[in-house]
Amino acid sequence: MKLREYEAKNVIREYGIPVPAGFLIRSENELPAHLDELGDRIVLKAQVDVGGRGKAGGILMADRATAVPTAHSLFKKEIKGLPVQEILAEQRLDIQHEYYLSITVDRSSKQPLILFTEEGGVEIEITARDNPAAIRKAVLLPLMRDIPPFMLRDLLGTAPKEIGAVINKLYRVFCEKDALLAEINPLVMTPCGVFAADAKIIVDDNALGRQGFTVNRDLTEREAEAEKHGFSYVELGGSIGVIGNGAGLTMATLDLIEFYGGKAANFLDVGGGAESERVRHAVRLVASVPTVKVIVVNLLGGITKCDEVAKGIIDADIPQKVIARFAGTNEAEGRKLLSGEGYEMLDTMDLVVKRAVEATS
Amino acid sequence: MIYGDRNTGILVQGATGRQGEFHIGLMNTYARQVGGKGVVAGVTPGKGGQQVHGVQVYNTVKEAMRDHDIGASVIFVPASAAGDAIMEEANAGIETIVCITEHIAVHDTMTAISYARTDGCRVIGPNCPGLLSPGEVKMGIMPAALFSRGNVGVISRSGTLTYEVVDELTRAGIGQSTVLGIGGDPVIGQTFVDVLEEFANDPQTKAVVLIGEVGGNLEEEGAKSTDLPIVSYIAGVSAPPDKRMGHAGAIVEGGEGDARSKIARLRKQGVPVASRVSEIPDMIRDLFRCHC
Repeated sequence: MKLREYEAKNVIREYGIPVPAGFLIRSENELPAHLDELGDRIVLKAQVDVGGRGKAGGILMADRATAVPTAHSLFKKEIKGLPVQEILAEQRLDIQHEYYLSITVDRSSKQPLILFTEEGGVEIEITARDNPAAIRKAVLLPLMRDIPPFMLRDLLGTAPKEIGAVINKLYRVFCEKDALLAEINPLVMTPCGVFAADAKIIVDDNALGRQGFTVNRDLTEREAEAEKHGFSYVELGGSIGVIGNGAGLTMATLDLIEFYGGKAANFLDVGGGAESERVRHAVRLVASVPTVKVIVVNLLGGITKCDEVAKGIIDADIPQKVIARFAGTNEAEGRKLLSGEGYEMLDTMDLVVKRAVEATS
Repeated sequence: MIYGDRNTGILVQGATGRQGEFHIGLMNTYARQVGGKGVVAGVTPGKGGQQVHGVQVYNTVKEAMRDHDIGASVIFVPASAAGDAIMEEANAGIETIVCITEHIAVHDTMTAISYARTDGCRVIGPNCPGLLSPGEVKMGIMPAALFSRGNVGVISRSGTLTYEVVDELTRAGIGQSTVLGIGGDPVIGQTFVDVLEEFANDPQTKAVVLIGEVGGNLEEEGAKSTDLPIVSYIAGVSAPPDKRMGHAGAIVEGGEGDARSKIARLRKQGVPVASRVSEIPDMIRDLFRCHC
């Protein structure tokens, strides 16, 4: 789950990384009380859960006189379809130099990876393409508590020492907050020292509980409903609902829909060993999306029993047609149950998907 | 076959849980069919002295190791205890550790794998179905009925998709040497590179099916590392960016790890990539034709 900017900044501030003076407001009326502390140069940043917020008009500059009307107009905006409910009002920094700092989980080495460049102010992807040598890397053993000084020296190059302290602190944040990503971009040098102008932290979904989060905000309403039942669920906007057991098989079913020129509405993985009750929930959830015209069920039963799945499909009692492919445990019983009207049973996933694409085109 | 054979004694951690008990039964049914050792001991702290399907349960891995010859283990414990289970087994000296458990926090996995590596042991998974070498050994949860013995190795980040591929191969008369799921998490122990190295040293394996998916670039690294003939399939061509497609590791992030660029890179390396699972058997036949 991605923390919002103000939450990420609260976290790194607790670890001693300097952040600009700032206040979270939920209405422009809350702003005047903070104007004295914010000074004359102010930046207003919409706290919405989307990327590319700046380019979408979610970050506005203001001064003491214009702050309240600017905040008013920002609260009226939608950023990439999301209403602005919270704004972080911050002191604007007097930037002398920008750096980029991030810590991620490196899949190749299976270890934390620190990236740092003195050539900040450019999108990191562009630096990676045009000047890869400018991005310094360090790979940490997860068993290390601190970054060894030699690694810090290598990372820093000609950057001032106080940035080394920030890197050390951000590594602590990364480890202790179960982060998949901890990023400060830009990390800026000002006449008053170094500051994190922006901060991004993504917390591992599998660690939300122990990190004290009760809900995963990254999920839509239907995704959250799916999670309650232990399903993986993603919406895709087309007209064919897709249910499978196992993430890989379900993904392959989606790809096959695209291969045959159709468009999937969603992806639901019921997981292993699903009983009829769970399947009923799954089918109803997939069918509840208004664009779904037909539902494909692709089941490869190992520990999942085909007759249990068939019962669940029938119990769901949905208006859309269900086209299914069953293979594996209790296949014959499952096929027999699903022989009535409104259901179609085919032998392979290719046939099932082709049929569904025909039915929706 | 790789990572063990019919003579490998297997330990199960989380033996008295629902999953552990169920799969000890299935693994030992398979072992009896092929004349293998199968699961010889179980571990659940606090449940030492019990038996599961006739298998003795111990409180600690070290106790089990004293009484039995154990070469591999399969972990079914809950996510919060799985990192610890991996480290306990590495510490006790088990060579091959298969971790089935899903939803382990990535930092726990990183720590456990890092520790296991210092002890020289190989971790398969987490969040994986384990491995099955037809006619030899089953370590994990793969449905044995679909498999047949032969010369094709299969490596995958997935579970049921692997069974689908195995089913297609078996129906087409193409048998398998070892089928192994490396796991659907972002951080896993044995990667494509490691498993391909094992396959390269395995006289039985003549070709490999490499089943990947969106997220990371381990597929390309693997294909680059080996001289073995490979056929690949990558799931997630239709996956939107920044959405986790069921597996924690199946996510296109920062424009990286999307299926189309993965497929393009693999093809550039000379690896044939199937557009559909059903194309794989014919592509394997083509490989054998070129290499014979």
